[in-house]
Amino acid sequence: MTAAAPVLSDRHRPAFDAFMANRREPDKLSRLRREAFERFEALGWPTRQQEAWRFTDLSALQSLALQRAADAPVEAAALPTLDTAIHRLVFINGRFAPGLSKLTELPERTVIASLGQVLAADPQAVQNQLDQLPGLAQHPFTALNGTFWEDGAFIYLLPGAVLDHPIHIIFHATGGDTAVYPRLLVMLDDGARANIVVEYRGQGRYLQAPVVELSIDDGAVLEYHQLQEEAPQAFHLGGIKLQQGRDSQTQLHLMSFGGQLARTDLEVLLDGEHASCMLNGLTVGRDNQASNFYVRVDHAHPHGSSQQLFKSVLDDKARSVFDGIIHVRPHAQKTDARQNSRNLLLSKQALAQSNPRLEILADDVKCGHGSSTGFLDPNAEFYLRARGIPAAQARAMLVYAFANDSLNAIRLNPLRERLARLLAGRLALDSTEEDLTS
Amino acid sequence: MLEIRNLHATVEGREILNGIDLTVRAGEVHAIMGPNGSGKSTLANVIAGREGYVVTEGEVLFDGKNLLEMEPEIRACEGLFLAFQYPVEIPGVANLYFLKAAVNAVRKYRGESPVDAMDFWDLVHERMELVKMDESMLKRSVNEGFSGGEKKRNEIFQMAVLQPRFAVLDETDSGLDIDALRVVADGVNALRGPERGFLVITHYQRLLDYIVPDHVHVLVNGRIARSGGKELALELEEQGYALYNEEPGRARRAAA
Ligand SMILES: Nc1ncnc2c1ncn2[C@@H]1O[C@H](COP(=O)(O)OP(=O)(O)O)[C@@H](O)[C@H]1O
Ligand SMILES: [Mg+2]
Repeated sequence: MTAAAPVLSDRHRPAFDAFMANRREPDKLSRLRREAFERFEALGWPTRQQEAWRFTDLSALQSLALQRAADAPVEAAALPTLDTAIHRLVFINGRFAPGLSKLTELPERTVIASLGQVLAADPQAVQNQLDQLPGLAQHPFTALNGTFWEDGAFIYLLPGAVLDHPIHIIFHATGGDTAVYPRLLVMLDDGARANIVVEYRGQGRYLQAPVVELSIDDGAVLEYHQLQEEAPQAFHLGGIKLQQGRDSQTQLHLMSFGGQLARTDLEVLLDGEHASCMLNGLTVGRDNQASNFYVRVDHAHPHGSSQQLFKSVLDDKARSVFDGIIHVRPHAQKTDARQNSRNLLLSKQALAQSNPRLEILADDVKCGHGSSTGFLDPNAEFYLRARGIPAAQARAMLVYAFANDSLNAIRLNPLRERLARLLAGRLALDSTEEDLTS
Repeated sequence: MLEIRNLHATVEGREILNGIDLTVRAGEVHAIMGPNGSGKSTLANVIAGREGYVVTEGEVLFDGKNLLEMEPEIRACEGLFLAFQYPVEIPGVANLYFLKAAVNAVRKYRGESPVDAMDFWDLVHERMELVKMDESMLKRSVNEGFSGGEKKRNEIFQMAVLQPRFAVLDETDSGLDIDALRVVADGVNALRGPERGFLVITHYQRLLDYIVPDHVHVLVNGRIARSGGKELALELEEQGYALYNEEPGRARRAAA
């Protein structure tokens, strides 16, 4: 018996052929895969000579020949819950796990399903919507995902539909040197509102390279949360494309805790007047972890607003990169765009890098960016110790305080509380601020 | 209770304290006065254990124990308190959380269980009234955006909640109006008792109208130039530190 061809290596063509040989799907989808694969072949494996990949070290990933992941059983108890979420989609190794999911009590004018389910019921819906958003054309892992994705979550709200409860989506990988290509497609029609929590997690060594498409029409409102809590040996290379219509509002909370290497490339297109977007990023790193955010916000129309705050807390030899571009097109007057990156280093070997960039082609705009990197304030540490608080706890309190306003921007209580516990656990704090002030 | 013997200390290689001898017994309030730069805060920081202050000679005993060997948090747990001349702003740490962490740290050190939530709340409220502090300050970050007066009030509030056995107040009266000054004095006087000692560092005699000291010391050039009773403070107010190599009025102007 010959081993299956790797789905991630420097020899992709055989993997692609083997993969396609087993697919039963509409021609249009196969065509999309072929186009994506050709795009990947044209782009090639990223090198450090390319500006966009200069600070992302992929050598550890490149040396692996990752296989397509087989089905693997996962206990429900091993997966996190979110107590207000009644809609839950779980994907194990990129494939839908109905037994672990919960899709009852679906509201009207709303579709929450796996891509596979939608394909079976209404192939047109998937074919016409997938890969439709612009952006990330130069991102090789988005192209690989477009080639090898197997399943994903499909969320579609008709005009005016409002979801009261968050949708909880879990992408769990079981490791064993595998590559997993999760998908998420979210479409909010005019005036619709949704609240989504996506979690990436797993065990062992693997790559998750998700692609998320968020299409937010006029007046729609999205609160999107992403918790990257991959296994310590794992790689996470994700792409998010967000397109917003007139008067739409989004909040993206991007929390990066796990993986040996994690990178999210995010491309936002504010494609209507008065669209607003808030990006709240937090990286918590230790050991040799690397976490990167590459963000591009494109203001294409007047009166748009974008607010970005990306923070990182780095211990040991952890590294973070924030690379952000604000692009304001010539007629996008009255744009209000802010970008801020703040980094707290807990060790002399930790390294945080910020590359904020403005490309302002309109003249009547308010745009600003700032970045700061520093160590803990020794005066604050002494102040706490002088009140009897042990040094380690004092430092943990200060780190917690630094990160806490990123968590406070999350309105979804159960998620915020979980993140607070996660952060407190990382800092070996007994209790979170929330426990103590409530 | 606190015994300082022949204390010499340097900051950044410069000798600031040049042999201080001072003994405060339980139940006593000592005032330290002196011109700017004479080493008052240095003394307070050495007692509290701040980094960067190097003791080159002498010793400090707290109830007979060598204070200088203890980490700052151990000193606090042993019952020592410093009201900072410049309280530190700590964004993101709520006052109430901070206080509870401090109270529980001290309790843990003593082998006691964490404070009961209701008891803590009652204590906090009682002490808040004592220092006339608004409840909204509990939810705010420690000292963040506080006015000078609010910061000083917060120091006294912390002292009132932690109930240390020995407190050093470093110019807690500076920049306070008369009402705030009274609050500070009330805070100290409420804690005063046979078990407790205070070292009140001040630039003005004014505070000592409200906190009447048992002893007054004049610190000049890192040395105690003179000691006396409470009348010494009045004398200094009239004459300035001229007698101690300072032109009259300079100290007051510099402090303004
Ligand atoms: N942290 C410090 N770094 C450098 N110099 C200091 C520091 N603390 C005190 N000094 C110096 O020590 C001397 C005494 O200062 P200080 O103890 O603050 O005096 P006082 O409180 O009596 O005004 C001053 O000359 C001051 O510049
Ligand atoms: Mg001073």
